[in-house]
Amino acid sequence: MTAKPDPTDIRCDRVCRFLLLGIVLLAGAILLYLVLRFTRDTPVDYADIEEHFKYGSMGGERESGFPYWVWKALPHVCAAHLPDGKKFPGREYQAFGFLYEGERDLPVGMSQRRHLGMDRVFLNCASCHASTVRDTPSSPPRVITGMPAHTVDLMAFERFMFACAKDANFSPVRVIPEVQRLGGKLDLLDRYLVYPIAIHLMRDRLLMLENRFKFMLEQPDTPAWGPGRVDTFGSAKALFNFPMEKAPKRESIGAADFPSIWLQAPRKGMQLHWDGNNTKVEERNRSAAFGTGTTPPTLDRPRIERIEEWLLTREPPPYPYPIDQVLAAKGAVVYREYCANCHGAHGRDFSGESVGTVTPIEQIGTDRRRLDSYTYDLAVNQNLLYAGTEDPEERFSHFRKTFGYANMPLDGLWLRAPYLHNGSVPTLADLLEHRENRPPLFYRGHDVYDAERVGFISSLPEENGRRYFQFDTNLPGNANAGHEGPSYGTTLPADEKKELIEYLKTF
Amino acid sequence: MLPPKTDKKRKINRILLLLFVFVGIVAFVGWYKLLREEPQPDWVTATPEMRFKYGSIGGEHDAGMPYWIWYVLPRIFPEYLPGPGGYASLGVAWEQGQELPAGFTKKVIGFPRVGNTCALCHIGTYRTKENENPTFVEAGPGNTMNVEGLFQFYISSVSDPRFNADTLLGEIRLVTELSWLDKMLYRFLIIPLTKRAFAERRAQAEWIYRTDFPEWGRGRDDAMNLTKYFLVELPMDDTFGPTDMPSVWNLKKYAPEEKTMNWDGASHDAYSVIMDSALGILGAPPKRTQEFIDHVKWLEEYLSAKQAPKYPFPIDPQKAAEGKGIFEQHCVVCHASERTGTPVPASEVGTDRNRIETWNKEAAIATNKIVEEMGIKRKGLLEEALVGYIAVQLDGVWLRAPYLHNGSVPTLHDILEPVENRTKIFYRGYDLYDSVQVGFTSQGSAAEQVGTRYDTSQKGNGNGGHLYGTTLSPEEKDRLIEYLKTL
Repeated sequence: MTAKPDPTDIRCDRVCRFLLLGIVLLAGAILLYLVLRFTRDTPVDYADIEEHFKYGSMGGERESGFPYWVWKALPHVCAAHLPDGKKFPGREYQAFGFLYEGERDLPVGMSQRRHLGMDRVFLNCASCHASTVRDTPSSPPRVITGMPAHTVDLMAFERFMFACAKDANFSPVRVIPEVQRLGGKLDLLDRYLVYPIAIHLMRDRLLMLENRFKFMLEQPDTPAWGPGRVDTFGSAKALFNFPMEKAPKRESIGAADFPSIWLQAPRKGMQLHWDGNNTKVEERNRSAAFGTGTTPPTLDRPRIERIEEWLLTREPPPYPYPIDQVLAAKGAVVYREYCANCHGAHGRDFSGESVGTVTPIEQIGTDRRRLDSYTYDLAVNQNLLYAGTEDPEERFSHFRKTFGYANMPLDGLWLRAPYLHNGSVPTLADLLEHRENRPPLFYRGHDVYDAERVGFISSLPEENGRRYFQFDTNLPGNANAGHEGPSYGTTLPADEKKELIEYLKTF
Repeated sequence: MLPPKTDKKRKINRILLLLFVFVGIVAFVGWYKLLREEPQPDWVTATPEMRFKYGSIGGEHDAGMPYWIWYVLPRIFPEYLPGPGGYASLGVAWEQGQELPAGFTKKVIGFPRVGNTCALCHIGTYRTKENENPTFVEAGPGNTMNVEGLFQFYISSVSDPRFNADTLLGEIRLVTELSWLDKMLYRFLIIPLTKRAFAERRAQAEWIYRTDFPEWGRGRDDAMNLTKYFLVELPMDDTFGPTDMPSVWNLKKYAPEEKTMNWDGASHDAYSVIMDSALGILGAPPKRTQEFIDHVKWLEEYLSAKQAPKYPFPIDPQKAAEGKGIFEQHCVVCHASERTGTPVPASEVGTDRNRIETWNKEAAIATNKIVEEMGIKRKGLLEEALVGYIAVQLDGVWLRAPYLHNGSVPTLHDILEPVENRTKIFYRGYDLYDSVQVGFTSQGSAAEQVGTRYDTSQKGNGNGGHLYGTTLSPEEKDRLIEYLKTL
């Protein structure tokens, strides 16, 4: 068949073709722009490993990240739920004990990543494992990585976020103008499409999380964690969405002190966590990484491995105040007799028959709520956590139900106050006392060091308008009993206790 | 004749070829993604114990649940579980370190699927003290397993409106990264087909929702009704007779010629019982009959040799020796004699009749016919009405509490009491052993928390009958029990 010109055929002349080409090119450019804008997945990276620990991404922003600008705006939009925020303009989250360094406007423990066309932020390891020490109330705080975040009140922070999500102000109408006021410079696409959707999704997610966390946060008889503590495995139960209203009461309280995370290499194979429920460092790390908002598909493996590698040999800083070496040498003798078997030969040598093993609860006698909050049924469910990744080596298989608390190595002990798994004893001096002589009420969250009693200042309810958390050892889960009696050093003569404490400073 | 249009023909051929290639690719991808079978990893069959607990018997085909659906169900529908703990709240025997509970298998048939094995109901679980992790005994009675709870959990979840692709994939996304194709298959094929499969069988499960029947509770199943409704697909009747999950160790004790099997003597031999139970797990005829038959034969071999575990507490040898005399005088006649392994008429033993009423000659004939049509040869079920309950062998009797066919008497101590002194209400399925009463702890807050309530006044739950030995003196009972611990 020959092509015969059709009178109805509209022919495209040169101009027309040019226009068509233009449209196609424009559409392509727009598509390319959108793809580039919304598919970029780039974390803010740090060459320095310590900076990476403090601010680097574990991948949590991908699944859980708050839009950076929403994070900045929330303390203003939800000011009613954060009255103390006003004391720290521009750094409102300091009210929860988060630390800010220099000119940075994100606290230590918060990482940032460009994802889905937004800068998103979320907590990383340092939010719970870095903190500050001050020598005197007037000295500048020193940030120390790897120590327990003893000033961070995670429960108060969670409550704030959930309260904010429920607040009528948590809406694009209120949040976006606030973002612009703070200098967000959102463009049209962000203002009318990206951020409104992000705000709705963030609210839905927070409300979902609140529903899953309410068994920890809303129980009338569950004491506040206070700064420096978290119900570690309560979060795991929330992840599984266990119907905790049907759980026996004794499983309901699991608040425990944040641990230090130095020197992981010599800890390999030990019973890790306060109750010694896992013996594999990498598995324990990935378990903890759920707390940084990661899921198995979104975990940023190269970046967490960088931190894991570093923590293997990272040492705690030495005790910065004078140590009486003569006294300490005498203390070493006491230590060898009473402590070394369970806590290691010294602060860097973790050898010892019972180091990293579990002492039965009947024997150690410390508060059993944290132990009881971790159940066999939870342990076996944890086997499923990493069942869906490419590498079968990642699958969890080391969680075990135990019946006591693990004997920990004591590296950097001076920075790990308050003591015992529930942080119920403020100083080393108090720990060497029988329970009647340990303080029944004290204050947590202060970062000024008490070199006399070895721990943080714990007797001040407030300083410079900053209020500290009153810790009541009579509340459930907070008992300061246990780890006492002749074999635990509480009956030693006063001078020997003094020698022992002096020696422990060298750890 | 028209001249050959070679050009057109070539074109058509080319199109046909393309079509053929396309169909071939689709068929291959479809086969690969939905039907290809991958063997389970080596560790599964490394030891007979592992194979018993985790080795596929082919239950992933028809009765199988897509793995990722199985995985997220407890997270999405916790309200249909009895408590916190996901599947663990149903009393599955879940070993520490294992991805799946014993009795659950994971196998790739196109995509990972979860099926079940005999171990679901035949792992015994006990602890000798509070502060101890459980010991699991392969081939023991599934004393903690709430199999009715598992059925109800699956059925309630799958029929819930939230059982849809958005909700399920939203939760799966938090655990694993499915490829685009897998997501599409889950969304448009696997999830809808799972929903349909359950909807189709909903009517057969109706009797487990009847409010005029008590729950089976942990450690029991209504086995003959399961066969009637699921295998033979008979209409629902008013019978109800759950029985204790039996121990299935040491099956060689049943000399096949004279003995019959099951609580009620309904089946001819161990092979038939294993075969019928395994078919129940498949929920359909086996895909590869010979492979299935070989597996059943292996199970028979394994279970024939497997011995009951020793009593884990001290036994007083003196007392036990004296108890042996009492046993010989009062118990041997049924429990260690010619009569052992044969039915004792219900009128004679006097225990609850409901179980034998759940079965009849017609059901037996129908079942035998169905199995035969599958091309499976076995002696099968006795084609006659049931008369009573088997006088059982007592090996490992310590772990087989609660006692009687319906598990209505919690301890050995209780079974030697007259009916009026036996416990009327107790809790089944708590695994803490009580070495004083000899049985599981069945009272107190922990037993109530974990266990399921058992009321002996409810249908099928009667604790009457088997009054043998109830008139012995307390000292004689004590010695007799001491001897029973040695079995």
